[in-house]
Amino acid sequence: MSRNGPLALAFHTLFVTFILAPILVVCVVAFTPEGYLSVPTDRVSLRWFRAIADYPEFIDAFWNSVWLAAASSAIAVGFSVPAALAIARYDFTGREALTALFLSPLMVPHVVLGIAFLRFFTQIGLGGTFVGLVLSHIVIVFPFALRLVLSSAVGMDRAIEHAAISLGASDFAVFRRVTLPLILPGLASGWALAFIQSFDEVTMTVFIAAPGTVTLPVRMFLYIQDNIDPLVTSVSACVIAITVVFLVVLDRIYGLERLLVGRGSGDGA
Amino acid sequence: MSFLVLEGLTKRFGDQAAVDSLDLVVEQGEFVSLLGPSGCGKTTTLQMIAGFVEPTSGSILLDGRDLLAIKPSQRGLGIVFQSYALFPHMTAAENVAFGLEMQGVPRAERSQRVSETLALVGLAALADRYPRRMSGGQQQRVALARALVIRPRILLLDEPLSNLDAKLREEMQIELRQIQRTVGTTTILVTHDQAEAMALSDRIVVMNKGRVEQIGRPHEAYEKPASAFVAGFLGKTNVLPAAVEQRNGAAVASIGDGSWPLPAEASGRVTVSVRPEKIAFIDQADCSLAGTVRTRIFQGNHWLYQIDTACGLVTVIRQNAGEMMPAEGAAVRLTWRPQDMTVSPAGQDGRI
Repeated sequence: MSRNGPLALAFHTLFVTFILAPILVVCVVAFTPEGYLSVPTDRVSLRWFRAIADYPEFIDAFWNSVWLAAASSAIAVGFSVPAALAIARYDFTGREALTALFLSPLMVPHVVLGIAFLRFFTQIGLGGTFVGLVLSHIVIVFPFALRLVLSSAVGMDRAIEHAAISLGASDFAVFRRVTLPLILPGLASGWALAFIQSFDEVTMTVFIAAPGTVTLPVRMFLYIQDNIDPLVTSVSACVIAITVVFLVVLDRIYGLERLLVGRGSGDGA
Repeated sequence: MSFLVLEGLTKRFGDQAAVDSLDLVVEQGEFVSLLGPSGCGKTTTLQMIAGFVEPTSGSILLDGRDLLAIKPSQRGLGIVFQSYALFPHMTAAENVAFGLEMQGVPRAERSQRVSETLALVGLAALADRYPRRMSGGQQQRVALARALVIRPRILLLDEPLSNLDAKLREEMQIELRQIQRTVGTTTILVTHDQAEAMALSDRIVVMNKGRVEQIGRPHEAYEKPASAFVAGFLGKTNVLPAAVEQRNGAAVASIGDGSWPLPAEASGRVTVSVRPEKIAFIDQADCSLAGTVRTRIFQGNHWLYQIDTACGLVTVIRQNAGEMMPAEGAAVRLTWRPQDMTVSPAGQDGRI
């Protein structure tokens, strides 16, 4: 590891500050006693945290977002396993085209997807339903899940599976006892990344969410169109707090670096 | 009856033949090495026996049954891979137990056989350790135990020692041979290391470019190489150009300014290979080749000479018997017995 020079150190500090400052500002503003967005100067108040309780639609929206993100990420990861194994192992015609197709949701603007899904779901009777939301989110998070599962599938030593076969394992036993445990870090990081993408998504969701299926970001977006008050900052502060706790727990039980870099197939315990 | 029979075994990738009509018969309990440079088809042959590569044509019979009709998972072969291919998420004992579990061996018998086999490879103390916390040599032993515990009909070893350092490799060679003798499993070893093949095997199959060059016992293949390739691959050799003519009804090979009677049928331009340790210094002029000592290196139990001759540089190894040896720059004459020559058609380069 090379040491950073003073200039590089200053640059990195500035960079990290620039990234973290907005998050910090939001959390500080959440404690304001005033009725408008301001940094508390003389005293702090929990007024706007208590105010969340008066808006149960934020709580509902939060759970909507969690279930939506969890379900769509899980299904996307489920589909990405066979896709990744096929792409990683077999050289079939149309392999490149298939990969491009799977990754194409990254290229299409979410506004376009939103309008397209709105029209399509209305047509097939899924307009405004939770199922519709899950389906659309599967499409947009699939590339993220696939990329991470694919990287763990590509990095796997085929000889390990051959060893299992030579020891008498059936195809299913090879998959369950050897392949799956070895690509599990990729599945976990793919799921986590997909979850974040889904939880975060507003541009497309705002088109297809109905009043009963509104997600948290969409709810916040709609709220600040009518009211400019610190409620959104206290909601944001709660989400940030939950995220931090989630990451700390994940780091303790699994190791964050391994999760996000997607390595570890060689030494998964 | 022969145990394992490979007949006309061929594998083509496109129009390239990786293995070209290979015939091999292996007896029960025998240790056979497939030896050759990389790309000679030895690994492909092993993978066809294991079932991971489908032959283009030919057949494999094991104990009279057609092996190709059996799924790879049902062939009952133990394989040790070059990368060991241990299951990283299982302990040593779990790795070894995997095959027994797949065969549905009851738990009590399973754990007994696992500890027996781990003890056989000297790893009884490390049963609960994960592979990533083991040295290369220990992982190697786990891989061997995992292959042996299922009592395989054949043990296939794919360059099992190539990832170990030289000292450990020598220890493992001895141990591998002992373990193989103890359990008596028919074993096929794939290797590019001629010393390893000679040390371990009952018989060696020397392969080059998908074809078998020679099948024979290590000593026999070394002393009587069937081709210049085998001579060059199994140990060091000197390759010399020679012209063969008939004199008084007998074939005589002229090499530089010397000439040797040839026992074998040959004529015209040929290539002769002679092992460095078979060459001696001599004073007489018949059956000898003139040269000048270019370098002389003392290596303890022997002297290593490089001699400039009319046929190019010749390497000579002489035992250190405490005698005076020619110094650098000295004019010498080299001789060897006619039966120490291997004669092959000209143009065949013995080197790799």
